[in-house]
Amino acid sequence: MKEVEEKEEASVYQRVVLKNASPYHYLKVRLVLEDDSTRLSAVELKYFIITGLKSLYGEVGAALNFDVLKYDEDTLTAFLRVYSSLVKLWSSLTLLGSYQNQACAFRVLQVSRLNPLPKNM
Amino acid sequence: SPAHISNGSVSTVQVSVLLPECSSAPSHLDSVLNNFSSFYLIKKLPVYELLDRHFLETAVYHGAVFGLSYRTRIDEDNCVALMPNGHLTLSLDKDSFEILGFEGKPSRFKHRTATRFVVSVDLTDSSMAPGRRSYLRLLTSLKSRLQLQTDFLLSHHPVLCSLGGGASIQPLLSRCDWSQHRPEVNCRVLTNLPCPAPLSCDPHSFLEWLGAVDAGISCENSSSSFLSSFVCPEPNTMHRHALSVSVSGLLLPHDIHRLLQELRRYVEQPRLASWVSMTVRGFADSPVSCSNHEHGFLRGGENFYTLMMFHDHTYQLHLAMGAHDVCPP
Repeated sequence: MKEVEEKEEASVYQRVVLKNASPYHYLKVRLVLEDDSTRLSAVELKYFIITGLKSLYGEVGAALNFDVLKYDEDTLTAFLRVYSSLVKLWSSLTLLGSYQNQACAFRVLQVSRLNPLPKNM
Repeated sequence: SPAHISNGSVSTVQVSVLLPECSSAPSHLDSVLNNFSSFYLIKKLPVYELLDRHFLETAVYHGAVFGLSYRTRIDEDNCVALMPNGHLTLSLDKDSFEILGFEGKPSRFKHRTATRFVVSVDLTDSSMAPGRRSYLRLLTSLKSRLQLQTDFLLSHHPVLCSLGGGASIQPLLSRCDWSQHRPEVNCRVLTNLPCPAPLSCDPHSFLEWLGAVDAGISCENSSSSFLSSFVCPEPNTMHRHALSVSVSGLLLPHDIHRLLQELRRYVEQPRLASWVSMTVRGFADSPVSCSNHEHGFLRGGENFYTLMMFHDHTYQLHLAMGAHDVCPP
C-alpha cells in the first residue's frame, strides 16, 4: 500500500511515500448458512472463527489477534481487522465448512489494506 | 495543489466529508452537497457508440463527458473507461484483445505471461479524427470484429457540452436502454465523538479512524474487550457533534471541485473545530487510477485520497493506491 502525504505551507511542502506500511488488513465477510434463519451473536461469530483458526493452525494460530469492528446480525455480515496475518485468517475462513452440524461458507466480500473499505456500487 | 488532484481523472464513486463540531451544514455547503449532477446508466452499450461522430464533436472534444463500464471486474472482465480528457481505455483479456486487432500494450499487472492487455487511445488526437485511418480501424474492430458491449455509467458536465444540457448525449441515449440516477446523499449527525488531533498521531491511525467513522464503526472498546480492541488514537478530544456526509454515485470532477472550494471557505472561518476532511473514493475496478495510470485490483483495489484542510490554510493530502499502482508526481 503506497501512501503519499503532502503538507503545504506557503510554497513549501513535504512528501512522504510509505509503501506497504499499513500493518492491518480489513475484511468484509458474510457467513452463509444452510439454514438461513440461523443467527449468531457477535461473540459467537468471533468464537467460531477462532475455532477455524485452531483447527487449521493449532493453538498458536488460534491466538491470532483479530477484531470484529462491526457486525450486522441480520445479514451475518462482519467487518474484521487483522494484524498482518491476512493469509492465516482468510485461509481459515475458506476452510470453515460447518457450523453446529449445518453446512456453511464464509464469503469474503471485500479486502482492504486501509480503512475505509470502499463502498461497492 | 488540491485543485490539480480533484480535476484529475479519477472516476469517483463516493465523496465523504467529516465536519467536527458541526450539527448541521451551512446552507451553501448543503446546497453543493445536494446538487451533484445526475448520471446515466446505459444497459448493454455497444462500445463503438462512444466513437459516434456527433457524440465526439458535441461532447467528447469539449471534455464534457466521462464514463466507466459498470460492474465489470478489472481482473476478470473487459473494462472500458472514457475520461474527460478524451482518453478511451479498454482493459481486455487476451482473447478479446486478439480478436479486436488494434494496438495495445500488455497490462503492467501480469503474471509470467501477459493475460491482460490495455488499449488506450486519445480520441482528441488528430489521428483519431472521424474518417482517419486509425479511427476507422478502431470503429470497424469494435463494430464487426469484437462486438464489445457493456453496461456503462455516463456523466456529462452540464455546461461544457456544446449544445447545452443533455442535448449532446440525447442522440446516443435514444439508441440505448438508459436510466437516469441522482447521486445518493447520506447525512449523519454523530454525537459525543472522540476525535484524534490530526497532526499528532500517525497518518495510518488517523486514516483508519476516519474510515471507521465513515463506516459507522464504534471506537468505544476497551483494549481488553473480546470482540474488538479498536480504539480512537490518542491524544483525542471529545466533540459534542460532528457531521458526516457522503455522496455516492458517478460524480463529476467539477462537482467535487466545487465542494472543495466550499469546504475551504467553511474551514477558513473562525470555528470551534480547526479542520475538515474530504475523502474521495474511486471505483475499485477502474482501469485508470487517479494518477491517470493503469490501475490494478490486486487484493483490494484501493483507489482513494483524503484531503485534510486546516484553518490556517494548510492541508494534508493522503493518497492510497494498490501496491503496484503508480503515484502521481
